[in-house]
Amino acid sequence: MSTTSTGSLKDKRTIIEDKYIVYIIGGLIGLFLIIFLALPVLNILRLSLTEYIPEQHQFTGKLSFSNFTGYFQKPAMVQALLNSLWIALWTTLFTTVLAFIFAYGLTRTTIRWKKSLYYLAMIPLIAPSMLQAMALISLFGSNGLITAGLFNTDWNIYGPNGIIIAEVLYSFPHAMVILYTTLSAVDSRMDEAASSLGASGLTSFFKITIPTSRYGIFSAAALVFNLAITDFGNPIIIGRGYRVLSTEIYLQVIGMQRFDLGTTVAVILMVPSVIAFLLNYYFTKKSASLISSLANPEIPPSRKGKKIFFTAYSWTIAFILLSIVGVIIYKSFVKVWMYNWTPTLAHFNFRIPGGMGVLWTSLWISLTVGVFGAIFTMLNGYVIEKKNPFFAQPLYLLSIIPAAIPGLVMGLGYILIYNTRFLNLDDILYGMPLLIIINVIVSNFTLGTLSSITNMKNIDNSMDEAATSLGAGVTKTFLQVIFPLSRVSFMSNLIYYFMRSMVTVSAVLFLISPDVHLAAVSVINLEKDGKDGSSAAMSTLIMLVVVVVLVIFGLFTRKKKDVVVVE
Amino acid sequence: MYKKLFTVLLITLLLSPAFLFAGGDKEGGSKEVVIYTALEEDETADYLALAEKELPGLDIKWVRYSTGELAAKLIAEKDNPQADLVWGTAVTVLANMKDLFEPYKAEGWNALPSEFKDPDGYWTAIDMYVAAFCVNTDRLEKKGLPIPRSWEDLTKPEYAGEIIMPNPGSSGTGYLQVSSILLWKGIKDGSEEGWEFLQRLHKNIVEYTNSGSAPAKIASKGEVAIGASFGYRAAKQLDSGYPVEVIFPSEGSGDELEANSLLKGAKNAENAKKFLDWAISKNAMELYSRYKIMVTLPGVESQSSIPLPPASEVKLFDMDFDWTAANKTAVVDKWTTLFQDKTIAK
Repeated sequence: MSTTSTGSLKDKRTIIEDKYIVYIIGGLIGLFLIIFLALPVLNILRLSLTEYIPEQHQFTGKLSFSNFTGYFQKPAMVQALLNSLWIALWTTLFTTVLAFIFAYGLTRTTIRWKKSLYYLAMIPLIAPSMLQAMALISLFGSNGLITAGLFNTDWNIYGPNGIIIAEVLYSFPHAMVILYTTLSAVDSRMDEAASSLGASGLTSFFKITIPTSRYGIFSAAALVFNLAITDFGNPIIIGRGYRVLSTEIYLQVIGMQRFDLGTTVAVILMVPSVIAFLLNYYFTKKSASLISSLANPEIPPSRKGKKIFFTAYSWTIAFILLSIVGVIIYKSFVKVWMYNWTPTLAHFNFRIPGGMGVLWTSLWISLTVGVFGAIFTMLNGYVIEKKNPFFAQPLYLLSIIPAAIPGLVMGLGYILIYNTRFLNLDDILYGMPLLIIINVIVSNFTLGTLSSITNMKNIDNSMDEAATSLGAGVTKTFLQVIFPLSRVSFMSNLIYYFMRSMVTVSAVLFLISPDVHLAAVSVINLEKDGKDGSSAAMSTLIMLVVVVVLVIFGLFTRKKKDVVVVE
Repeated sequence: MYKKLFTVLLITLLLSPAFLFAGGDKEGGSKEVVIYTALEEDETADYLALAEKELPGLDIKWVRYSTGELAAKLIAEKDNPQADLVWGTAVTVLANMKDLFEPYKAEGWNALPSEFKDPDGYWTAIDMYVAAFCVNTDRLEKKGLPIPRSWEDLTKPEYAGEIIMPNPGSSGTGYLQVSSILLWKGIKDGSEEGWEFLQRLHKNIVEYTNSGSAPAKIASKGEVAIGASFGYRAAKQLDSGYPVEVIFPSEGSGDELEANSLLKGAKNAENAKKFLDWAISKNAMELYSRYKIMVTLPGVESQSSIPLPPASEVKLFDMDFDWTAANKTAVVDKWTTLFQDKTIAK
């Protein structure tokens, strides 16, 4: 960025100067995170400890702990906390195990169609949030296609089990990406060595594969835990009376206009989230580097039984993920689900502010988010992992916090701070696309940074050292050595950011304005208006736009073998 | 190869700054007026088509929120309002947020009966909506249950697990249902019968939703048999082809007004006033009447384009808006302590 034109300094370059470049880049990223992450969140924390007069909709500014003492005196509120933990723990267990086996199949066996399977596993990422719950109800609700249509049973999916299933479907690709990266990066020759020394497949799996990739497993588990505990789209739709913290925030703030209780619940919700990430941090530090620059030799052909198992397993998962989306696509083309199956295109006639234009707005905002998100997280990963300046740890902590903050809280934090006269930022930010872009970049900073760090770990330090000893400065090393080696990671971050931005709802719900209408928010509004068909139709169009963009990206990347995501 | 891809991305980036600040013309907005509304999106589109024709000098920008979202947004933005006016949201919400509004008696204000406007001009109602059950006949038939016709019917044990109702804390419809039942059972005379009735009703309720339209929506999909909702939404579901019937309970239906307010500190106050004048004009009212059970301008009859009877054919509870607005916090607090365990956000 600002440091790319340093060619003339070649002769005078010293280690000190390189240090400053790192400081400036790291510092700018840190400042960005402080302004757009720490401040809004700390403000929420402050407001949760401030006296509030509901009748006047006014925080008085006086310190008060009554919100918290009041919270723990209400059994229903405490129950919501326990419910959230229950949901998050089961989701973490199921998703991590399911995704690990899937990622193992893709990285350590010689099953066919790996690339297709990888992309199929990514399907939930292209779907607007809430889609899992919407589809599950269409299939397994009291009047679902399978429950009522096929079996005519009274059993239905509502409640905690429904939430857990929806959250597993929703978080699967997030865990898969991390585990896939880990298993690709961890040296699989150790597995080979173990089996050539006589260890059975299962022994080497439990004694070598799992321990060596535990860093990635903990990362994935922590991320899933946070996705599940902070998600509010799925519990809202499918929970039916089963209260969790994220829906409680929505109820307090949106429903009752109780900003004091909303901020309080937000703070309580952040506690388990932040603990999960601190644990992750602790385990990460303990885990030795098991990654080598030569980690990816050819995989020997897998045994027949192994191949059959992993093929069947992977395709079952892929089929389930595909059918969730398929149901919604189908729904957008029938008149009235369960009552009138006449095909129709009527649902695609949107009568909403912005009309079809919302798709275009979402598209260009998301492309911008993708590019800048990928650049920021890559630089961030480089600074933290490879350069390790004195502020690397606080920067890392700031970078992983976003996953612990529910999108709704982040959006709330943004309007509570950026609509005031604070720094006069409101004139250039509030109600503007830029604020949405920043919000989405910050909200998804965690996974971007984590995958970027994993990628940097994957690049052997000897590369960096070799470049330095040959006289290349930090800028040149980055642009000519690190960046080319990280293109795959850069592209997958860009794509990840693009997809998140296309489908994010909760974070930006508060940030849409008369000037900016987004497609994913329209999905929720249409659903709320009872226009299921149109809501499904908008979801279908969003997924179509994402797929088209991904195919265009794919055309660019396919030409060179070494940049393909799989293999 | 990658170079091509980066060229494309670079072009995107070069183009994007033009968009980043697009439409952010906050200063020179002499024609601009920014509206927050809780009216349904499809009706709003129709109204605005007329507004744009009749108010050619205005550049109308609008966002649609649910009643609760709208209120939360107004409160969050109160130190620096982004909207100029609120158009068509529940009066019980507006009446409790007077500190956010600037009194304005729009042109034609005098023509409206006094029960449809705040005496100081903090809010001016445009229409009334009425509580109604959205009953899924297909599901009732499968269960072998008769169609409920009254509030009393809903407390019968055979409907257990088949009823969904909105939460009065978050939904205008929910509050009008609860407050109308309390008023009907004589709470003003100190009777506790209303609360006892709600206790009996509670036994049959599956969940309390955050919005007033959700129960009709869920019932029409056949997820439950009965959604306690409001007339327009239930009729809309019938119109969309769901196997439902719109039932106005025989004891009476609670009702609520939807109103407009001018925001204190509106950046385009003059334009907002022009719009507020238009919003209670005869032409606007006539257009509303195609979607509403009743509009507030005398002489304009409901000519609903959806299967909804005019208000004159519906038995209405005696509402007391002064009482309902003044007692909102107390009623909601008591309701919350009694029933909150079944509430979810929706």
